[in-house]
Amino acid sequence: MVQFTPQPHDKPDDPGYEERLVAFEARVARGDKVEPGDWMPLDYRKQLIRLIQVHANSEICGALPEGAWIPHAPSLQRKLALVAKVQDEVGHAQLLYRAAETLGKPREELIQELIDGKAKFSNVFHYPAETWADVCVIAWLIDAAAIVNQTMMAEGSYGPYSRALKRICYEEAFHLTHGYDMCITLATGTKMQRDMLQDAVSRWWKPIMMFHGPSDKESKHTVQLMRWRIKLKTNDEQRQIFLKKYVPKMFNLGLKVPEEWDLRLDEETGKWLYNEPDWAEFISVVRGNGPVSEQRLRTRRLAHEHGLWVREALEAAAGGRPVPMPTAQRNRVAVEN
Amino acid sequence: MSDTQWTVYEVFHQQARGEPHVHVGSVHAPDAESGLILAKEQFGRRQACVNMWVVRADAITASAYADADIFQHGTDKSYREAFGYETTRRAREIGDSQEI
Amino acid sequence: MAVALSETELTGDRRSAIIDLLYRLADDSLIIGHRESEWTGLGPILEEDIAFSSMAQDKMGHALAFYTLLHELAEPNPNQLAFLRSASEFRCCAFVALESFADGQQSPPESLFNNPVRDRLVSQGDWALSCTRQFLFSEADAVRMAALETSSYEPLAQLARKFRGELKYHTMHGRMLIERLGAATEESRRRMSASVDTLFPYALGMFETTKWDKLLEAEGLAPAECTLCERWLEEVGPRLRAAGLEIPKNAEPVCGGRIGRHPAQLARLVDDIQQVRRLDPAASW
Repeated sequence: MVQFTPQPHDKPDDPGYEERLVAFEARVARGDKVEPGDWMPLDYRKQLIRLIQVHANSEICGALPEGAWIPHAPSLQRKLALVAKVQDEVGHAQLLYRAAETLGKPREELIQELIDGKAKFSNVFHYPAETWADVCVIAWLIDAAAIVNQTMMAEGSYGPYSRALKRICYEEAFHLTHGYDMCITLATGTKMQRDMLQDAVSRWWKPIMMFHGPSDKESKHTVQLMRWRIKLKTNDEQRQIFLKKYVPKMFNLGLKVPEEWDLRLDEETGKWLYNEPDWAEFISVVRGNGPVSEQRLRTRRLAHEHGLWVREALEAAAGGRPVPMPTAQRNRVAVEN
Repeated sequence: MSDTQWTVYEVFHQQARGEPHVHVGSVHAPDAESGLILAKEQFGRRQACVNMWVVRADAITASAYADADIFQHGTDKSYREAFGYETTRRAREIGDSQEI
Repeated sequence: MAVALSETELTGDRRSAIIDLLYRLADDSLIIGHRESEWTGLGPILEEDIAFSSMAQDKMGHALAFYTLLHELAEPNPNQLAFLRSASEFRCCAFVALESFADGQQSPPESLFNNPVRDRLVSQGDWALSCTRQFLFSEADAVRMAALETSSYEPLAQLARKFRGELKYHTMHGRMLIERLGAATEESRRRMSASVDTLFPYALGMFETTKWDKLLEAEGLAPAECTLCERWLEEVGPRLRAAGLEIPKNAEPVCGGRIGRHPAQLARLVDDIQQVRRLDPAASW
């Protein structure tokens, strides 16, 4: 992938910006992809970095609640599939950070900003996965919601992001099927299993309804993002696609949406109606005030810090840098520890 | 802040003998040999693969998208193509009905 | 080609010896796979995290295949074996059951997951132990399975041949890390060398002799454990030395796993594995 090269005159007051912008927007409107070496408005680049970074962050943070359940997965088949799924999420983060890097921001910096709480991650991973059924609901419904979003984004204007998303969508299809399979097993299982699943759905319904972001009435970024084909559908449109496809499947499994949502189908328009989520709460959660926001970031920080010696050592080994000789110090250090 | 994310290597894989190597993505790796070992799992864990290449990303020299027009044809170059000839019609006219 | 022994021909001691061998292989695979999978999402760098998870999946896949052979010999089914046995019924070595924490950690782990084992791994885990174990185990695994490719028990020989490629990758991965980390920086040298010191006696325990050794060897089912151990030492010895790491002198093997005597860490791990399943062992999950 070609690396980012700084492009001149990419800010609105720069000479020649307007003409370049017109040509750029015409290309995007034609459905042409933008590639790393191209001229692009600084704001386009910034918005994309922000978006891809949040997406990548969400993948590595999403690996935490599910990863914590790997030890307890209740059959060998579930265990294998869950490890593979969490592994895919780490793999997706790898692909996405790489796509963001082509816009000129190194991975180290992107990850550091997450750890420092300066970059966001998806609202859903600010909540704890309390039981095995939570893992099933995350794998089915949250991955379903994510696929709605990612399938759309894969048609977006930025080449490297779009390429990464095509592969991600392909892999998410396995996550979704596996998630559905796990939910069917619980929904057709014993009373304890059915209750466990319903509890998880009830607990997760709020974060799920918030997943696609604030309602169109409140979302500030949408208009420009859509003109630049960074985004192709509004938050509410995505939410409707998700509800249309998955609520009937949930009902079919005998699952209920908590009554306070007053979720109902408008037969005339085919739209699902519901009580609007509290978007102030959503904003607060993604800003780091969710039930387990702090633990998630703390965990990421610890993993990153604990891995530092490995990254440094392999770098040193590759660089052929002089290696300090083994000395009596070794014992001293060992004692201190 | 020091960057401890290593060097970027571009990854190419070959799905079967006889097929071309195709670019599939890139990995951060400390050196080429470990790059191959790490790329194997990030890019070879699902699809068939018989051979993999990694190459330092900074070893690649790329043309500029701004120069994409150098690949466009300024004049009709159909004389380079089989479809540029009307031999089927012309052959029929002289009584040759076989496929070329 | 050796005449395949079908299940019905297996009787008496030969049958018991094969069953014992399969339990050892299966349980080692499940437990090391479990330990390696604990790092999924927490690895030192994304690419390495992915590679480690793949090896964990390979090992758990091997466990499933070995348990399936056991089930074909009228033992319980794979999920019953993995999820409904008590720790003392496992036949894995202590080496695979060890937790990846450095010794001497006295302070309680941070509360991150409402799960003490996970919390401890995240806040106090030592990846050097896991990667050293991955190296030492995969070398033993490759030596053992290469020998089993010609086992007179054909179903096992078939599996050994099928696993060859995955195990080759595991050794490539382990060697790559050992070669580099052993002598890269002062810190990596210290950590890797401490890990080798800690792990080596346990690693020797992978080759604990059992009462079936002679029979397995005589019947061409599997080489004696001491033979495998020698071959393993020939592989790991020079590689450790080349990496500037020393094998501790006079290391005494830590044994007992093959007769069901395990460290407390295995009981905790088995509890962890079985936690959800045991909510209703009869249910389908």
